[in-house]
Amino acid sequence: MQFATRSSNILIVDSDRASLEMLQIRLTVVGYHPSIARTGATAMEMIRHARPAAMILELNLPDMCGLEVLEAIRAGGGAPIRTMVIGKRIAPEAIRRAIELGARDCVAKPFSGAEVLDRLSRMLTRTAPPPAASSRVVLV
Amino acid sequence: MVVATDDEAQSALTPGVSTTFEVLAGEIELAGARCIFLDSLIGELMDLVPDDQRGRFVEGLHAVDLLAQHLTGLSAFARRIGANASDDVSTAAEEALRDITLGDLADRMTGALGGQDRFAEVTAGDVDLF
Repeated sequence: MQFATRSSNILIVDSDRASLEMLQIRLTVVGYHPSIARTGATAMEMIRHARPAAMILELNLPDMCGLEVLEAIRAGGGAPIRTMVIGKRIAPEAIRRAIELGARDCVAKPFSGAEVLDRLSRMLTRTAPPPAASSRVVLV
Repeated sequence: MVVATDDEAQSALTPGVSTTFEVLAGEIELAGARCIFLDSLIGELMDLVPDDQRGRFVEGLHAVDLLAQHLTGLSAFARRIGANASDDVSTAAEEALRDITLGDLADRMTGALGGQDRFAEVTAGDVDLF
């Protein structure tokens, strides 16, 4: 398995401009190469064009649910993208579904940039594979 | 005294206290991130500065670092207040937003508080920080 590194391309998908810019700056300062998308459709297009090493994905996008983005990625085949889902007041059911679809972490908004960076770094170095497509996740 | 019409009253931006503090926390966090960016930039410049000038840059670096910590603390404070507050009580955000003279900030906050963000249509791009 190939490890993602600090120089990795990270796709940030979020319609909240403050959160988007904050993450973009914080990731850039520590050496990542962030790209940004503010809609699910744009994110899908960017993923088709250049698959990122990891993705920070808001679940509540203006044009579709973040879960639909994960479903489309999984349906498209290819290597899974290490994904951290973010959002306000995320329902446990949505977290469970996101993990089933391959998400590795979930951070509730509002968050601190330091917290996201720390968890992103851990997510990128973790070697455990995401759940298989047929796995059912149970939150305890 | 100004009396709002029904239409005006319905369109007034009056988000809950919790939402207002969350949006405020997000904006302070962004300001903090900009300070961290500035901090890293000054750090890079240090190598190019003559020895006799370096003291001034170190002072500037400390000031920016302190500002970043200041903003990080305020953001955490606002975030915590927001998490423990209710949205049952609303804030007069629309009126308060008129005091923000930086257009982009006012628009962004208006959007986050439930109003219309005039720049919401810009969808994607590569890194373009400022």
